[in-house]
Amino acid sequence: MTDAQKTIVVTGIGAVSPYGIGVSSLQTGMLAGQSCLRPATELYPGFHGTVAAVSALPSLAEGYRYSRTDRLAMAAARDAVADFDGLASDLRESGIVMASTVAGLSEIDAEISRGPSAWFRQGGLSRAASYPVSRVAASVGEHLGIEGPDCAVSVACASGAMAIALAANMLLDEAAPMVLAGGSDALCPFTLSGFNSLQALDPEPCRPFDQNRNGLNIGEGAAVLVLETLDHATRHGARIQAVLRGWAMTNDATHPTAPQREGMGLACCIQRALEMAGCGIDEVGYVNAHGTGTPLNDIAETHAYESAFHGRSRPIPVSSTKSYFGHCLGAAGALEAAITITAMQAGALFPTLRLTDPIEISGIDWLRGELRRQPLPVAMSVSAGFGGSNAALVFGSHRA
Amino acid sequence: MNATLPVLTGIGSVTPYGPLAGLVPAEPLEPSAITAWTTPELRRAFLVERFVPASIVPGAKTRRLDRLSAWALVAASLALRNAGIDLSLMDRSRIAVFFATGFGCVELTEAFFQSADANGWAGTDPITFPETLHNAPASHVALFHDLRGPNVTVSSKSFAAESALLQAASLLRHGQADMAIVLAGDTLTQAVYEWYEAANLLSPACFNSEPLPSASGFIPSEGMVAMVLEPAGRHAARPYAALCAGRWAAGGDARAAVRQLLGDARLDFTICTGNGAPCASSSLTSLARDLVGEDAAIYPAPAVAAGMGEAGGLLHLLLALSKRPGQGQALMLGRSAHGSFAALRLELF
Repeated sequence: MTDAQKTIVVTGIGAVSPYGIGVSSLQTGMLAGQSCLRPATELYPGFHGTVAAVSALPSLAEGYRYSRTDRLAMAAARDAVADFDGLASDLRESGIVMASTVAGLSEIDAEISRGPSAWFRQGGLSRAASYPVSRVAASVGEHLGIEGPDCAVSVACASGAMAIALAANMLLDEAAPMVLAGGSDALCPFTLSGFNSLQALDPEPCRPFDQNRNGLNIGEGAAVLVLETLDHATRHGARIQAVLRGWAMTNDATHPTAPQREGMGLACCIQRALEMAGCGIDEVGYVNAHGTGTPLNDIAETHAYESAFHGRSRPIPVSSTKSYFGHCLGAAGALEAAITITAMQAGALFPTLRLTDPIEISGIDWLRGELRRQPLPVAMSVSAGFGGSNAALVFGSHRA
Repeated sequence: MNATLPVLTGIGSVTPYGPLAGLVPAEPLEPSAITAWTTPELRRAFLVERFVPASIVPGAKTRRLDRLSAWALVAASLALRNAGIDLSLMDRSRIAVFFATGFGCVELTEAFFQSADANGWAGTDPITFPETLHNAPASHVALFHDLRGPNVTVSSKSFAAESALLQAASLLRHGQADMAIVLAGDTLTQAVYEWYEAANLLSPACFNSEPLPSASGFIPSEGMVAMVLEPAGRHAARPYAALCAGRWAAGGDARAAVRQLLGDARLDFTICTGNGAPCASSSLTSLARDLVGEDAAIYPAPAVAAGMGEAGGLLHLLLALSKRPGQGQALMLGRSAHGSFAALRLELF
C-alpha cells in the first residue's frame, strides 16, 4: 500500500446537536460560546436537572419504525454526505459504523415489565423492534441506500470515538471505499434515571475540571464523519477537512464504572495514538477532553494528561466542550471529533464554560474564559467510559 | 500454514450443551420447556441450564451480573485455558476483547424497567444500571483477567459475530493488539421471546413437543462462545482454524462479493449460518449451491445456532469445527432474509 492508501482523511462532517440540525449550527453556536444546557423537570416525574435537548427534529412518515436515536443518526448522516451527490456508487458500497448506548431504549415504556405480550399488543411491537443497537447503523443505511459493511458500536461513553477508530481500520482493510462513522443517542428516562441513581448528575449546569464540579449533564445528538483514504479522496476531488493521523483504544481493567484513579489506561491510549500518528507531545496544540464533570472522571483524566504529556515544553491546552451541551453518551466521541476538527479549521481553542477554579496541576493549560485564536495543525479528541474503556483520536490538518 | 494469518487457538463456550472448553459434542439438541417465566402453554427454546460460574472459574463473582456477563467471563476463561495461554507471560495491555451481541444485557435491562415501574424513574437501582450497558460483559472479561488492550462491543444486523471476528483480526493485522478474545452471545428473556412470538417468527416446534420440523420459523437460543484469535506461530498453540479472509455487508451482490473473496480457493466444506428466520434458509442454500456446486459438502445451519440470531456466528463455527470430518478449506456463509450477508474463508486444521 502507498502512503495515500494508508492515510485516512475526513471528507464530510454532519451533526445534529442541541444547537440544531446541521454541523454549521454546531460550529456557529460553539464559536459564539453559547450554552445549550437548560433546566428540565418534565422528562420523568421526580426529575429536576439540567439537560440539552435537540428541538425540531423532523419526524418521519415511518413513525415508530425508527427510534429517536435512529432519526438523529439519519439526519446527521444526511448532513455528512450533503456534498457527495456525484458519488452514488461509492456511497452505496460504503461502510457504516455507528455508536450508540441508548438506541431504541427511548421508545420502550417501563410498563413492558408488567407483561411484554400485552405491551406489544398495545402498539409496542414495532417500537421494541428499534431496541437493538444494530438498528442505528441499519437505519442510516436504509435512509441513504448504503449497502456496505455495517456495524454498531456500544462501549458506553467511548463508543463514538471507537466507531471512528474501527472505521479507520475498515478502510485500511479495504473493506469499503468510504465509511460513515459516528454516534447517536437520544435523551431518555432510562439513562437519565440510571445516572441519577448513581448520583452522577449535576442539577445545575456542569463544571468540568473545576474543583467544585458536581457531576454531569446529559445531552442528545448525533455526529457522522465521512472517512476515506487520501488516495480515494484525491481521485474524486473531495474537500479534505482533516487527516485522522492516529487512533488507539485501551481498557483500564480496574473497576466496572470508576476510571483508574491515576489515569494510566487513558495515558497509555493517548501515547499509542500519538505513536501511530508519528506525533511528538509538543506537536499537539489542543486536547478536546472527555471532561464529564464528575469528580472521579476529571481527576483521573487530569492525571492521564499529566502523564502522557510529561516532558512537554509548554502546558498542554485542554478543554471540555461538554460544558456547552452536556454529555451525549454514545454520540459524544463523534460530536467531539467534529468539534476538534472545527477547532483546527477555525484556529479556535474552545474554553471550558463555567471553569472558575480549575484542578491544580502542572503541565495543563486549562482553557477558560475567552475563545483562544491560534493556528492548530494537530489536535486530539479523548473519550472514556463505563467499563474502563478509553479511546483517543489524533487529527491533523491536511498539509500539517 | 500461512504465518501471517490469524488463527483460532482456543475455544470456550456456555451454550445449551453446557459450559465447555474446546469442541462440543455436536449432537443435535432438542429444545427444552421454558420455566424461567410463566407461559400460558408449552413454550420451548434452546436454553442454558443454570450453573455456578465460580465452580468453573475460581474467584469469579457474578451474583450481581447479567447472565450474559457471567457467561462471557466463563467462556473467555475456558477459551484461554483451552488455548494453553499463560497470561502472566504476556503484555496484557496488548490483549483485546471483542464482543458481539444482538440484545446486550437485556436481562438486567428488563430488571431496571421493572424497578422503574415499581418505584418510579426516581427510584431505580444504581447497582443494576451500569450492568445493563452492552459493553458490561466485555469489560468484566477485561477486569477479571486484567486485559488492558482494546475492549470493543459491536452489533450488526444478522452478522454481529462475523463482524467481530473480522474486526478483531484487523486489530492484529494492524499491530493494535497481539491477541484477541472474540466473544459472541445473547440471553433469552421473556420480552425477547414474546416479541418473537408476537412477530410470528417462531417455529411450530416452540409450541409442541414434536421433533424438530422443517417448517419455517426458528427456535430461539441463548449462550456465549469465546474464541482466542492470535497470529500463527506461537509454539504451544494448537490451532483449530486460520481466518484467511472475510467480509460482511448490509446488501448488494452477495454472489459476486463471495466469488471475489474465494478467488481460486478450492473449498472442501461450506458451513451455512444465518438467523433462521423465514425465507433465510432457502435463499442461503441456493446461494451456497451456486457458489460451490451441487456436489460440494454443505453443512446446513444447526437450529441451536440459528436460534441465536446475529450473535450466532461463533456457535455456527464451533459446531462446524466439532462435527467436521476432516481438514481443509471452508467457507462460512450467511445470508439474511433482508439481503445482508457474511462470508468467512477459513482453513480448518
